[in-house]
Amino acid sequence: MFNESFSTKIATSEGKEKLAEYGGSYIRDRLREVSYARKVIPPENVVRADCQVSVNHDTLVKIVELEPQSRAMSISFRGQPTARFIRGSRAECAFFTISSEQFQKPEQELLAYNMPITKIIEENSVKDIQEIEDREFTIHIEAAVQALQVEANGGVSTALNASNLTLGAVVEFSVLKGELARSAPTNDATPRALQRQDLVRLFKLLDGNRLRSERLLMTEVDWDDILTWTVEDNGDRIQSETTVDGYKYNTLLGRAYIRTIKTDLLRPGNIYVFTKPEFFGKFYVLNNTKFYIDKIANMITFQAWEDIGMLVANIAAVRKLETYSGDANPTTNADGLIANFIPKSEDALGALNNRVDAGLKFPQITQY
Amino acid sequence: MSTIQKINFEPVSDVLPITRRDFALADKTLADPLNAVALIDGEWMTLDSSYKAVRAATIGSVGNLATVRSFPLFAERGRYDVRAMADVKMPVLYMGPYEFDTRIFDASVSLGSGAAITTVLQPLKVATVTIGARNVVGLVGHGGSADASPVVGYVTRLPASNGGKLRFMSGWRS
Repeated sequence: MFNESFSTKIATSEGKEKLAEYGGSYIRDRLREVSYARKVIPPENVVRADCQVSVNHDTLVKIVELEPQSRAMSISFRGQPTARFIRGSRAECAFFTISSEQFQKPEQELLAYNMPITKIIEENSVKDIQEIEDREFTIHIEAAVQALQVEANGGVSTALNASNLTLGAVVEFSVLKGELARSAPTNDATPRALQRQDLVRLFKLLDGNRLRSERLLMTEVDWDDILTWTVEDNGDRIQSETTVDGYKYNTLLGRAYIRTIKTDLLRPGNIYVFTKPEFFGKFYVLNNTKFYIDKIANMITFQAWEDIGMLVANIAAVRKLETYSGDANPTTNADGLIANFIPKSEDALGALNNRVDAGLKFPQITQY
Repeated sequence: MSTIQKINFEPVSDVLPITRRDFALADKTLADPLNAVALIDGEWMTLDSSYKAVRAATIGSVGNLATVRSFPLFAERGRYDVRAMADVKMPVLYMGPYEFDTRIFDASVSLGSGAAITTVLQPLKVATVTIGARNVVGLVGHGGSADASPVVGYVTRLPASNGGKLRFMSGWRS
């Protein structure tokens, strides 16, 4: 049995290094997915020597330099160009830790499981950690688009909802409402079907600012809307392919796309588009995932963690499409619906799908 | 009179047995070191109804007393790791016994039914005090049985014999 072997092996230093997987069948509660943040900004490993410390405390940042400004001009034979005193902006990318829970179990109780429960938790922990990476990333990109939206509205945080769009009271600069959302009769939290035209308008938010939209991020729920596009959107070849196999290409309207099932982090109705990472930001890994395991008397304890830093350096390199009509600006929250649009809290993630502990499984047989 | 320095709260007992828990700040701006009322290591925090950390007493007026269970902040002002997190969480000493040196105290004041800090093993309570020009939530002397404020610890070494720092051990009595 894996768990029996686990208890024996953990008593030795060699055994702690790696415990081989022991087969076992069990029912999975939910899909776990690797990080989507890592697909938008591929992580780079850094070491201590790349970082700066503070004179006030013992934490680290990596300083990221931004491209300096420059321009050219036309001048006469006798004239001279204007001067530019060279200066490049810098931004700090700070590091913090993302940890799994600290798991504990008496070795005797591990024997009660046929499945390799410790191994399953260990493997799931890596994806749980990446889930928090995605939560952090989502909050940062949302802050970026909202900051630019405030700037475009004269420095005033303005509600972006169907009623304000009808009144012409808000500018859509970094956040855009979908066609069906902007014509909705009420401000609500219901995501409307994603239209091809919505995506084209989203791309234009970036493409019209000396940047190029390269990568879409959306939920599987929003992706499913694409499967409803008609022959007028797709043409007959793609339409017939999609009807049989789904959409199988690596790009959509010329842009790469990332789909996620994490609808408690990236809420349906929110679609982001990004430039290439070099125009956007950084994702640094100071310490890759470490796994600690120990046994004191009969109590086995284990925990995994990593140290990372994320930076959205160029807030203009991300734009957002909202397919719902309500206001998702966290500052204004004009319709009181913000909880539907932002990532759930950390302790609300990973809610159970199954209801076995509540007695809900069918047929309802119990051991007797 | 104590002074606020870079490091104001240091362990003199093993930190491993202490449950150090990160809580999101109800007011994220308090993690900004340039904020005039930024949080300082050794200040005392409590939890609000949203499970977020708030100062154990309001700092608007000196002498405000903490009336509920409170926990010391174990993070220096402006730490990068705290500010890098989207939720802006700060660690407090949440559960378990400990002994620490702190600069966040006022030994001379007598607040409510309290008393100045004068003796070893005197109980301590939490209140808003002024150190330098800043109002902070720190330790003051408890008055014993006549004092209704909760006890959060006991003096183990007086500042006069500890380089100006107050050494105390944890302990709770409501």
